[in-house]
Amino acid sequence: MKPAVKGRVAVFHPQGFLDGNNAPSYVTIDDIKAIEHMNIDMLLVSLKKVIFFNKNGLDVFIKTLLTIRSQKHISVGLCDYDHVKFTTIISFYKNALNFSLFRTEKIAELFAPSNKSDSRTVLLYNEDPSQRSAMAIELFDYGHNPVIAQSKKEFDEKKQHPDLYYAIIEESYLGIFGQKIATRVTGNAVIYTIANFLDAEIGNTFNITYHNNSLNVGFRLFIFDAHKVVSMNVHALNFLTKLASSAAEYNATICFVGLTFEKTPESFKHDLEDAGTLFFNTMDDILNNKQLLQDLGGSSPSATKTNRALTKALINELPNFIDATVSTIAMMTNAKAVKNGLNIQTLAVKESKNQFASSIGFYGDVDGIIILVFPKNIAKKACELLIGEETEDEEAILDSLAEFVNIIGGRAKALLGEKKQHVDITLPRTYGDIDALMQIVQNKKGVQVDLSFEGSNFTFFLTR
Amino acid sequence: MITQEEVSLYIQNIPPAPSVLRQTLEYLRDGDLPKAAKCAEEDPALKLYLKTLINRPIYGFRNEVSDLNQIFSILGISTTQQILYSYLLSLLLPKQWSLFTLTDQNFYDLQASLGRKWEKILKHLGLHNRDTESAITLLPASIIVCDALFGAHAKEVAQLRSVKALDYNTILIRLSKRSLFDLCSEIALKWEMSPSIAKIVHAASGTDSQISGNLKLLAQWMHLLLFYELSQSAYVSAGLNEFIDFQIDFVQDIYESFMQVVDDETSR
Repeated sequence: MKPAVKGRVAVFHPQGFLDGNNAPSYVTIDDIKAIEHMNIDMLLVSLKKVIFFNKNGLDVFIKTLLTIRSQKHISVGLCDYDHVKFTTIISFYKNALNFSLFRTEKIAELFAPSNKSDSRTVLLYNEDPSQRSAMAIELFDYGHNPVIAQSKKEFDEKKQHPDLYYAIIEESYLGIFGQKIATRVTGNAVIYTIANFLDAEIGNTFNITYHNNSLNVGFRLFIFDAHKVVSMNVHALNFLTKLASSAAEYNATICFVGLTFEKTPESFKHDLEDAGTLFFNTMDDILNNKQLLQDLGGSSPSATKTNRALTKALINELPNFIDATVSTIAMMTNAKAVKNGLNIQTLAVKESKNQFASSIGFYGDVDGIIILVFPKNIAKKACELLIGEETEDEEAILDSLAEFVNIIGGRAKALLGEKKQHVDITLPRTYGDIDALMQIVQNKKGVQVDLSFEGSNFTFFLTR
Repeated sequence: MITQEEVSLYIQNIPPAPSVLRQTLEYLRDGDLPKAAKCAEEDPALKLYLKTLINRPIYGFRNEVSDLNQIFSILGISTTQQILYSYLLSLLLPKQWSLFTLTDQNFYDLQASLGRKWEKILKHLGLHNRDTESAITLLPASIIVCDALFGAHAKEVAQLRSVKALDYNTILIRLSKRSLFDLCSEIALKWEMSPSIAKIVHAASGTDSQISGNLKLLAQWMHLLLFYELSQSAYVSAGLNEFIDFQIDFVQDIYESFMQVVDDETSR
């Protein structure tokens, strides 16, 4: 069984009965190998469709999850259960609960370190005060706004108004956490939250793939929120100076916020400054200073000092990317998308109203970004297979559009792989407002292909 | 991926029930076992199928049973009808499974296991009759149909499922507006099975609204039985655990009783 991956969260969905006899059949060695190559932050087993499980069955899954965690430094656990299943799990593992529990997948996504979602207000309650605090801290680090209920009574009262919260978090548990450094995106700055004593382990917990990826897709400002850092050793210093030096090659800036040098040698600060790192006292010193933000490259990713030109290698692969797009549309809709015209130009969208867009970046032997711009009704049609029922919910359509463009990225990767070209793909991004997209790609030259599908036009744009 | 035309073509190409089999079933409906056995003798493949089946360890005969008259008498009218339908279904088996990593032997084992447990269930529910017993034979047709329709698209389905946990039945409904259970009903019609058989199997999808009474009860038990079987190691490895969506809420209220009946069956 292969897990389904949404964003950076991979979830297994077994169905029916789960015991010691059948559990090993759900996850084979091939499945584990495939997971090892996935760029994920979290691996979960959903119990939503499991009517019966016993400890032997769960143990098999948990053992596999823990093995993967030790290799990939990701969070692992169970999700999608009701009250009865939760109490059963707790009774099985009372003193040895070293994995996480999330009542729903939606809640789990809030705790994914490479978080791409907007800041969410959530209601949080846990009987155990230390769990309550740990969850609140994690959520806060990921850019969310947890409303913490201090008692069951307060929780039950607040729960009466579910429309005030994106999610209500109860009967959840954080196992060994902080496997990866928390990452979030605010505007066009990437913020990493680091804490405690920094040592060589930072090389494992920092998601270097995500960082390189962000550099490749145009982010130029990286902020380390270091308020909770007690001290660091020379290994962590080496890691951070190297990171700053490599960022300089992209004209990117690395800043530290709230780092104190009471227990960290002052000389470390000089070393980091020599590597181009800047220091600030508070996050607001950067984020509320528009001029500074613009100077640092955090006002928009398009504010890069160099516009990266199209390369011959990228143009050579254009047919692969168009094939991946056309074949994905054919797969999802059973309708053929027809190519009408191709031009090298900056992105031109005739009508910016009622359009959705999505993009996915790729990097490796070739690098670039695929952007698709659809009229809303066509986006809906293209995603019908993923959405299922008729919906006008824009968030659901954009979510499916992200999945759609992820499939295109996967297909393009496979097509390139057949030609021994290795690329990795980034998280997909969606735009409910085309103006936000236009800001990012303005002045970027690329290949624009006008395609039509079921009588309506949509745009494919390949750029760097 | 799969188009409505492809689905229709597949159903269109399913052969009708062979005439000898139709006649044998006809005699069974009249309750005439000797005539049914005599008629079945005319089809050597059917005869071999019945002989092989009855001499499997699951039936527990010490000496080989080869006379069809004897076989039909041992099985009785209901079970004979069920087995004849199983034979009919075996004619649909693919030369090679292309989506699920199954063997024909795995499939026969699944049919046999479903049949035995279903019989116990029907006795427990007091709903044992020729049609209810035969209904279980049509259920695995959904697996054959699924393999036939999706076999050529396995790679595409895998890509789709890499971003969303969709089962094959849901994908088929969204692409062709027909479910695997709709197709089972069409097969039942083509094979002139009793309409009540098709109804039970269709309801066993767990997604039919407005079913009630005994039909709902049978559908709940059949749905849970299917997932009980598809959770067995061999079928999980074959990929069958993911072929339809398990409707956990649909079966929740019969779960305790189901486990008692099935555990009892297993311990015997």
